Amino acid sequence: MSKLLLASLTLALTSSVAFADTIKIGVVGPFSGPAALQGKNFQAGIDAWLAINGNTIGDDTIEIVYRDLPAPDPAQSAALTQELIVSEGVQYLAGYYYTPDAMAAAPILEEGNVPMVVFNAATSAIVNASPYVVRTSFTTWQTSTPMAAVARERGIDKVITVVSDYGPGVDSEAAFVAGFTEAGGEIVESVRMPMNTNDFSPMMQRIKDSGAEAVFAFLPAGPATLGFVQAYVENGLKDAGVTLLAPGDLTQEPDLAALGDNAVGLLTTFHYAVSHDSPENEVFVEAASKAIGSASELSFPAVGAYDGMYVISKMIEATGGNQDAAAAVEAVKGLSWVSPRGPVSINPENRHLTQNIYLREVAQEDGQYINREIQTFENQGDPGWKAP
Amino acid sequence: MSETTLNPSASTPLWRRSVTRDLVAVLILAAVAVALFFLFPSNLALLTRIVAMMLLVLSLDLVTGYSGVATLGHATLFGAGAYAAGIVAAKFGITDPLLMLAVGALAGAAAGAISSLVILRGHGLSQLVLSIAVVSLAHEAANKLSGWTGGSDGLSGISPSALFGMFRFDLFGRTAFIMSVVLLLVVFVVLRIIVRSPFGMLCRGIKQDPVRIRAMGAPVYFTLVKMYAIAGAVAGLGGALSAIATKVVGLDSLSFTLSAEALVMLVLGGTGKLFGALVGTLVFVWFEDRVSAINPFHWLTIVGCLLVAVVLFAPKGLTGAAEAIWKRMRGARS
Repeated sequence: MSKLLLASLTLALTSSVAFADTIKIGVVGPFSGPAALQGKNFQAGIDAWLAINGNTIGDDTIEIVYRDLPAPDPAQSAALTQELIVSEGVQYLAGYYYTPDAMAAAPILEEGNVPMVVFNAATSAIVNASPYVVRTSFTTWQTSTPMAAVARERGIDKVITVVSDYGPGVDSEAAFVAGFTEAGGEIVESVRMPMNTNDFSPMMQRIKDSGAEAVFAFLPAGPATLGFVQAYVENGLKDAGVTLLAPGDLTQEPDLAALGDNAVGLLTTFHYAVSHDSPENEVFVEAASKAIGSASELSFPAVGAYDGMYVISKMIEATGGNQDAAAAVEAVKGLSWVSPRGPVSINPENRHLTQNIYLREVAQEDGQYINREIQTFENQGDPGWKAP
Repeated sequence: MSETTLNPSASTPLWRRSVTRDLVAVLILAAVAVALFFLFPSNLALLTRIVAMMLLVLSLDLVTGYSGVATLGHATLFGAGAYAAGIVAAKFGITDPLLMLAVGALAGAAAGAISSLVILRGHGLSQLVLSIAVVSLAHEAANKLSGWTGGSDGLSGISPSALFGMFRFDLFGRTAFIMSVVLLLVVFVVLRIIVRSPFGMLCRGIKQDPVRIRAMGAPVYFTLVKMYAIAGAVAGLGGALSAIATKVVGLDSLSFTLSAEALVMLVLGGTGKLFGALVGTLVFVWFEDRVSAINPFHWLTIVGCLLVAVVLFAPKGLTGAAEAIWKRMRGARS
């Protein structure tokens, strides 16, 4: 009898957290400064998920705690993450737009007993930084590799690559070059542009002179892409039939209106287009547009956040609201569901999403510019990931 | 704190009064650190980051506040220390935190001495432009050498071993904070001795009138290079401390933004005073952190307003304003 009492007492003590608790989720992202739009998209994805599913899971209520990190700053990221774990008592960490910030947060996860769901940061190696990292975005390798097949299918033999000279640009170049040369194509030249290049005319001349049939380009989503595409058209490369190929960062939806007619016909490969045709996406876009205020501001980080919230909800369900990072991560390994971007699953080996990558063409529809999906590469893993 | 408050009729010798004052200053700093440790046990990572920034701002104060060199590229020295400490830990397995600090200080001193050879060639505006060029070059070099530095992804894989083999760098950041405070106190005392020494006086003289100092027969250029090397060691210690506490070094540690922010903190606290550098950094980073936690979406506006207010109402910085009030109160009493 006393044994039973003791057992029930222990049970009550250890599982006390399971009863109607508030579970805090700390979200770190760029909510101010030049990348504020991407942070707003994190928020829109989270709000959309909460609007559709409610803020309770079982008996537990979810509370989101936002922290701002306007630019890559690992020291600040580590300080914010530590403060979220220690003083806010968050059970889950999420967000992280830039790679160094995610890298700086990873070493404290194990000791803090907190899983981290990366909503964006796209360098393959992040998942190796800690066994408690799960990622619901994409990697630059993942979105760039299929473009090699696209180029070959279109009979392109010679390509020049032009990328911004920083981590993701170099990743993108490496992914395309690896895929393209393997498929029998020839890279005539690889150029890396300094990060704050604004005048692309000399670059366009160089592309012309290289004699390539197509140019593969990577620039971070944002203002530089406008100048690049404009220079591409104005220097006559589009008319000369030099195809522009790029991962979808170049034509993210909020930039399309400014890119305008110059962008029509551009080919990009990416994991998500706001115009993706599926009932899941319709529900998501409606809720997320409402959260962000205007449908034209919606972009890819929102879907990373939305799916991230789904993953966190599954983690909470699996652990019954108890703080157990190992069990939470274990529970979502191999998890598969239909995301607004299409069918996805979490690769148990590297805790990164296996997903469809789409070839899209910029098109005009009902007076609006969209990324129209025209080809699907199904179940793409991360070709850039190497086991640690 | 300033020289004018010295009482010339005091019978105690000058050095003894200086020692007493240093002791008082150190006790005050230590008391503040202990108070912060117990009042904000969950913000120690932030506090450690503040100490690392303090070392950078102290270093900037040495060249700008004491020697009159205009620079917007001071993060070069901080970044050099951070990357050097990070690289020896991540690539060569030297993970002892004290050794990492030593490496950071050496690298910072070297970077300071070398970059000063260029920066000191200019004066006024051209000097400012040269300093920006130096930090941009360093930034781009670190971006290009991604095999060593990790480029824009940041240098990760730094795992410092336990301090003295006993004190692990824990989640709460206690070890890192205590180590950083001890480091700061040592640096502070050494710097007080340096700025008071004949060498420090020479630097101040150069700030006021380099032509006259040259006419007196003292080497202006070489003296400033020496000061830059000392400042480099201090900033390098800050960088190494940041690498140890964060375990990641990013390109931001070599950025123009960080250099400019350091200058803002120095101006906020008051230039030409070591306490000014400490107060400015503590107030700026703490304020920034609190405001951005309260409103993560519009906090930059509020920080901007604070800076405008300080420049308008306390042009000599917070310590300058405090000093003025202190003097006025003493004047009213006598």
